[in-house]
Amino acid sequence: MLTQAAITRAIPRAMTDDPEQFAELVREHQAMVFSMACRYLRNRALAEEIAQDVFLQLYKKLPDLESPDHVLHWLRWVTAHRLIDHSRQQQRRPQTPLDDAPEPAAPANQGDPLLTDTLRQLVAELPENARLVMILRYQEDLDPMDIAQALEMPLATVKSHLQRSLALLRDRLTRKKGVGI
Amino acid sequence: MNLDDELKSALRREDPPAGFAQRVTARAQSRPARNPGMLRMIWAAGIAAMLVIGVTSVSQYRQVQGERAAQEAVTALRIAADKLNMTRDKVLKLEN
Repeated sequence: MLTQAAITRAIPRAMTDDPEQFAELVREHQAMVFSMACRYLRNRALAEEIAQDVFLQLYKKLPDLESPDHVLHWLRWVTAHRLIDHSRQQQRRPQTPLDDAPEPAAPANQGDPLLTDTLRQLVAELPENARLVMILRYQEDLDPMDIAQALEMPLATVKSHLQRSLALLRDRLTRKKGVGI
Repeated sequence: MNLDDELKSALRREDPPAGFAQRVTARAQSRPARNPGMLRMIWAAGIAAMLVIGVTSVSQYRQVQGERAAQEAVTALRIAADKLNMTRDKVLKLEN
């Protein structure tokens, strides 16, 4: 794990002469970018492809980014928009039904694996903006104000997405499992 | 069960497959970095090349058209000269 000072040094240097510094920067943020894509798409291969594209964009953009915070916000913003663009492109093409899509490999779980998988599937079935809001809220632990900034969305819309998505998830979970949550 | 906690657990971050950073770095290194100034130069060179090709094509077209018009004028003059000669011959015959 890089220190804040090391990351700051890595930003200008990575572009020019030290691939290892850039690799460190990628390692620092890869879990965030990959997980956003993975939860959004529920397809690990596609998530890796999109995450790689995002980091290649970062590589070109590095000289314009001024600080580690700037890098973090830029990565969140670009990943979110890249995922929305991908969804829109897919909507214009014949789609693979979600049930046939490759399942993400389940790493060591802390809770009920069935419930975890059901929740991931239900989140993946939400409309695109609502899905991103939920991912940023529960994966990245952002509050609604930060989500609104990250997605350039009105705060009221973010709150509405969260409330409606949670209500929908509760309802679907109850129907699916007969469990009140 | 608390839905918030379950969602945080279900949607927690997950690392990509091993070697992800190396693959990204290798791809980044294999692409030559182009700065915006270089891109502008490439665009300007492309536009300049298109202008040169356009101007050259127009001037070549005009040159061909000019040569054709000159040939047609020469042919017309030759026909007119032949007719004048024939007329002069007929007039001379009538006078004799």
